[in-house]
Amino acid sequence: MTAPASGEARAPMVRLEGVHKRFGSLHVLRGIDMEVERGSVVCVIGPSGSGKSTLLRCVNLLERADGGRIWLEGQDITHARREQLRFVHQRVGMVFQQFNLFPHKSVLENVTLAPVTVLKRPREEAARRAEELLTRVGLADKIHEYPERLSGGQQQRVAIARALAMDPHVMLFDEVTSALDPELVKEVLDVMRRLARDGMTMIVVTHEMGFAREVADHVAFIDGGVIVEQGPPEEVFENPREERTKRFLGLVLEH
Amino acid sequence: MDVFFEQYFDISLMRENFGIVLEGFWETVQLALISAAIALVWGLVLALIRQLPGKGTAPARWLAIAYIDAFRGIPLLLVVLIISGSFPFLDFLPEWLRAPTWFGKPDIFWYGVLAIALTYGAYYAEVYRAGIEAVPHGQREAARSLGMSHAAEMRHVIVPQAVRKVIPPMLNDFIALMKDTSLVQVIGVVEVVKVGREIQADTFNSSALTLGAILFLVVTIPLARIVDRQINRQQLRLQRAAP
Repeated sequence: MTAPASGEARAPMVRLEGVHKRFGSLHVLRGIDMEVERGSVVCVIGPSGSGKSTLLRCVNLLERADGGRIWLEGQDITHARREQLRFVHQRVGMVFQQFNLFPHKSVLENVTLAPVTVLKRPREEAARRAEELLTRVGLADKIHEYPERLSGGQQQRVAIARALAMDPHVMLFDEVTSALDPELVKEVLDVMRRLARDGMTMIVVTHEMGFAREVADHVAFIDGGVIVEQGPPEEVFENPREERTKRFLGLVLEH
Repeated sequence: MDVFFEQYFDISLMRENFGIVLEGFWETVQLALISAAIALVWGLVLALIRQLPGKGTAPARWLAIAYIDAFRGIPLLLVVLIISGSFPFLDFLPEWLRAPTWFGKPDIFWYGVLAIALTYGAYYAEVYRAGIEAVPHGQREAARSLGMSHAAEMRHVIVPQAVRKVIPPMLNDFIALMKDTSLVQVIGVVEVVKVGREIQADTFNSSALTLGAILFLVVTIPLARIVDRQINRQQLRLQRAAP
């Protein structure tokens, strides 16, 4: 395989080729191939410990792949350092399972910190943009609150606004509703639905099968560090070809 | 028993000498506050060097670790003696640094400050490190995923949270530091213990030392209470934050 032809616009947003990741003797990713088209939503499903989160963390280089290659908008970022690392972190936004809001900063400061310190945007401009984003996630009235005074669902929506404030080209969602009380899941998924509708490229690791079926353009089922099966959601959910996929879906869709 | 009370609790002697003992104690307080201020900054610098990322910074990290180990391992009394003994002979230093007399304080005062700050800087560096390591890993990941540099991450995300966590242990160490200032009397600084011993030599009565001890307690006991309150508050906060 060769690197994709130049011409960033035509290159897929994210492309992985034979990505491996080991933690000591634990072989978490065993050769992942994947392409994420611009404006598409890819949902990654699979049992706990299958490597879903690690895959996501390899894309924005929180973890370094031990083998294979990763491209972002046609640029090989596998061994990114300094300048290129900044390029990656500014293009790729991430939302975490545990929110990871900065507890010592207000909602507004959480959202403006990176634009001001990293992008060197003027404070007023960053604040204006933050207000806009917080309105979009339905939290305009919480702008001066501190994270500890917000519900989990509100915190997660702030986290989404915080990531969006960097104007990323692709957003990674790492089981963002798994730490939420059931009644708070919907408000976060609604924000993500809207984001998808607005054309954001998204890679979503999730246990919310309903969301995956409804929003995803492409579903990848991972087990044991390999993509067992991938395709349009109708195919993967309605007519899974692989035994392992059938068993997994049987287990999670039954209840 | 009478001799004991006469020797250590002679109220009239305490009253008579209250003024000079208090003056000595004021010297102690100044020593403590100035040394602690310097040690707080120096300790943070050491801790930040220790946290530097990348392979290229390894020598700096080793130096910081070696420094911390060394100064935690040498008795403060020896550091005081070595600094006061050697500094006047460091010809390459300009006079104002070799024998500083800033703010009308004699050079021995500043040797004492330097010795305490160098030693407690090492302790404080360890306290900061504990605080930095206690900040959840997710905070670093969030900062990094937002494109923040190591410096920005430390300055805006990690250190502000770490400092909040280490206020109680820092105050504890400040109490220890304040008590340790009494060691600098060996090089002639007239702080509260020195004053007490001089009065003791003049009057053959130790009550001025007791008075000095009481003055210490007037400051250290409230500090200890504040530490306790802070710890309780933090614990409450943690309980509330837990999901």
